[in-house]
Amino acid sequence: MAIGEVVIDQNRCRGCGYCVKFCPRACIAIPGDKFSAEGYVLAVFDHPENCNACGACGWLCPHFALEVYKYVDAKPVAAGEVK
Amino acid sequence: MADEKVLLQSNEAVGWGALAADCMCFFGYPITPQNEIPEWFAREFPKRGKIFIQAQCETGGINMLYGAACTGVRAITSTSGPGWGLMQETMSHAANAEVPFVVVIVQRGGPGAGTTNHAQMDYISATKGGGQGGYKTPVLAPNSAQETYDLVQYAFHMADRLRTPVIILSDAIVGQMMEPVVKRKLDFGPLPEKDWAITGFAHRKSGQRLMLSCAQGWTGQPPYLTYQSFMAHLNEKYPQIIENEQKWETWNTDDAKLILVAYGYTSRVCLEAAMMARAEGLKVGLIRPISLWPFPAKIIQEKVAQGSRFLVVEDSLGQMVEDVKCVVQGKTDVNFLGVLARHNPGPGGLIFPGRVLQEVKKLL
Amino acid sequence: MSDTTTKQKVWVSGTPARWVRHPQGGRQCPGCHHPIMERLFCEILAEMDIEGNTICVPGVGCGARMSMVVNIDFITVAHGRPPDIATVAKRILPDRLIFTYQGDGDCLSIGLSPFISACARGENITIIMNNNGGFGTTGGQMGPTTLMGQKTTTCPDGRLPTNGYPIHAAELIAPMKGVAYSARSAVNNPANYQQTKRYIKTAFQRQFAGAGLSFVEVLSACPSDWKMTPLESMEWIENQMIAEFPLGVFKDVDKRAE
Repeated sequence: MAIGEVVIDQNRCRGCGYCVKFCPRACIAIPGDKFSAEGYVLAVFDHPENCNACGACGWLCPHFALEVYKYVDAKPVAAGEVK
Repeated sequence: MADEKVLLQSNEAVGWGALAADCMCFFGYPITPQNEIPEWFAREFPKRGKIFIQAQCETGGINMLYGAACTGVRAITSTSGPGWGLMQETMSHAANAEVPFVVVIVQRGGPGAGTTNHAQMDYISATKGGGQGGYKTPVLAPNSAQETYDLVQYAFHMADRLRTPVIILSDAIVGQMMEPVVKRKLDFGPLPEKDWAITGFAHRKSGQRLMLSCAQGWTGQPPYLTYQSFMAHLNEKYPQIIENEQKWETWNTDDAKLILVAYGYTSRVCLEAAMMARAEGLKVGLIRPISLWPFPAKIIQEKVAQGSRFLVVEDSLGQMVEDVKCVVQGKTDVNFLGVLARHNPGPGGLIFPGRVLQEVKKLL
Repeated sequence: MSDTTTKQKVWVSGTPARWVRHPQGGRQCPGCHHPIMERLFCEILAEMDIEGNTICVPGVGCGARMSMVVNIDFITVAHGRPPDIATVAKRILPDRLIFTYQGDGDCLSIGLSPFISACARGENITIIMNNNGGFGTTGGQMGPTTLMGQKTTTCPDGRLPTNGYPIHAAELIAPMKGVAYSARSAVNNPANYQQTKRYIKTAFQRQFAGAGLSFVEVLSACPSDWKMTPLESMEWIENQMIAEFPLGVFKDVDKRAE
C-alpha cells in the first residue's frame, strides 16, 4: 500500500538533481532519456513503493516542480469497526 | 484665536511649516549651513510622537525618506550641496516610483566641498536632476522666513497631489535670516487617498497585495504593463506640470525697460536695486521665480513680447540665466551678473544692491 | 482483514499553499537557491498567518524575484538600501513584520553602511542575507564573501590577498549591542532547510519582542555563475563555504540592551 506520492510537473522540472540526491529512499531518479519541452532533463518518480512522504524533495525543489502527498486513513466507512 | 506671530529663523521655519503640514518624519544629517533644521526636528518631533532619525549619511537619509513616503506618511529631509549630491540616485528612484516627499536644500558654495557660506549653485542639479534617467522634480524657492514656512506646507500638498518629490531650494542667507513669521496652517484643498501606499495587504481596502516599485514599466505590473506605457505616462505628467504649476512674483514690470530676474537671497538684493533705480527715474522691474521647475516661462515670454530686456542676477557662474536665455530665444538681450560681482573675493562675499544698480545703469 | 477505510491524499510539501501562482515563479537557473528561500518564506508566513501584515524590502538582484511568488506587500528600492527603508517602515508601522531579503553584494558591499548603521541603531527589523559568494545577477563578479582562491569574472585568477578578504557578516555584527540575533544557516540539504526555517522564525520573534535587529545569513548556491552543476554547487557549499562560514547562532538575546 503506497504511503507517499510525488507528482512531478514536467513543465517546471529543470533536472537539477536535488530531489534525487536528498531522497533518503531512492524514490526519484533522472534516467537521462526524458526531457521537458524546454530541453531540461527530467526527474521521474520511479520507485513509489519506497516513498514514505518525508517531504524533503518538496522542500528543496528550486522550481516548484514537485508536490508531495501522503496517504492517510480517511474516516471509517463501515459501522461497528473499532480502531 | 489670532495666528501666532513669532521671530523665526528660516531654517527653523522649515520645521514649523512641516509641523503645520502634519509631517510625520524627518531624516537628515549634519551639514552646514542647515544644521538648525535637524536640530529643530530632534528637539520638537520625538516629544510630539513623531519620528526623527539622524541617518548615517545623506544617502541613508534620502532612502529613509523614500521608505516613509512608500508607507503613505509625509516626510522631509534637509541638506546642502554636498549632501544633495549623495541623494541623486534615490531622487531618480522616487521619480520612477512616484512617491511624494520634501527635500530642503540650503545652498552653499560649490562645486565639491565649495564653501560653507551662501551661494546659488545648485539650481542646475535641482531643476535638471543629477540622477539617472531624465526625470523632473518640482523646485520651489523661498526668499524669506515667512515664505519658507508657507512653501514647506505648499510643497507637501503639491507632492501628494502630483505624486512626486518636491524640492525647496533655499540658501545660507535666506536660511539664517530671522524674520517675523505668522504661523498658521494653510489649506490647499482636498487630496486623493494614497491607495498606492504600502502597509500590508490586510490594511488595504482591496485586500490585494501591492508592490511599490522603482522600476515601473520594467516589472510589467499594473498600471504600466510595458516600459513604453510608463514613458507615455511621464510624457503626459511633466508637460501638465509645466503648464499648470508655474509660480512667480513681479514688481513693477508693466512698463519696465529692464527686468531683473532673481530668486532667493539675490531677489531681495534685486528688489532693493530696482527700488533704487526707480527712485532715479529708471524703468526697472523684477521677476522673482518662485517655481524654478517648472520655470516660469509664461511671465518671461509676456515681458519679451512687451519689449523688456533682462538682467539675471544669481550667485553662481550662470545657471538660471541659461533657462532665461532658452525662453527668450534670442529675441532680446539677456545679461548676467554673478558670483564674480561679489563685494569681496572671500567665501562670504555678497552681491550688493549697489553693484546691481551699477550694472543696471551700464545697460540702460 | 479487509480494510474498510479509504485513504485520502494529504499534501505534505512542494508548492506552498498560499503562494502567488505566477507563471514565472520558480523559473530561475536550474538549481538556484532563491526559490528554496521563497518557499521557506511562504511556509513561515503562512504558519504565522501574517501575510497581510508583512512588508518585505528586497535588495537588487535575483532575490528580488521573490515578489512574484510570496503573497505580501513589497517596496523595491536602490541597491543596498533596504535596511534604511525597513528601518522607517518599522518605526511607522511597528506592529507589522518588516524584513529585508538581500544578497551578499547588496548587504555587504554597496549596502554596508545602511546595514551596519541599522545594527548600531538596533532597529527592530529582520535582515535576511543570501550569501552566494558574489554578485550573481550580473554574471558572477567577486563579492564581499567570495572565498580566497575562488575564481570569479573580476578575479579570474582566483581571489588573492590583494583583493582583500571575505566579510563574515554574522560574526561581525554579533558583538553590537543593537543586534539581538545573528545566525548563519544554509539550504543545501533537508536538515539545513529546516534549521534555516527555525532561525528565521526565531529572528521574526526577536523583532516582535523589540529586542533589536535580527539577522540570518543563508549560504546559498549560484550554479550558473559558479560554473558548476547544481549538485556540484551543493558540494561547494558543504565542503568549501561552510568551512569558511560556519553555521550556527552567534548572538541570541530576547531583550533590548540597556
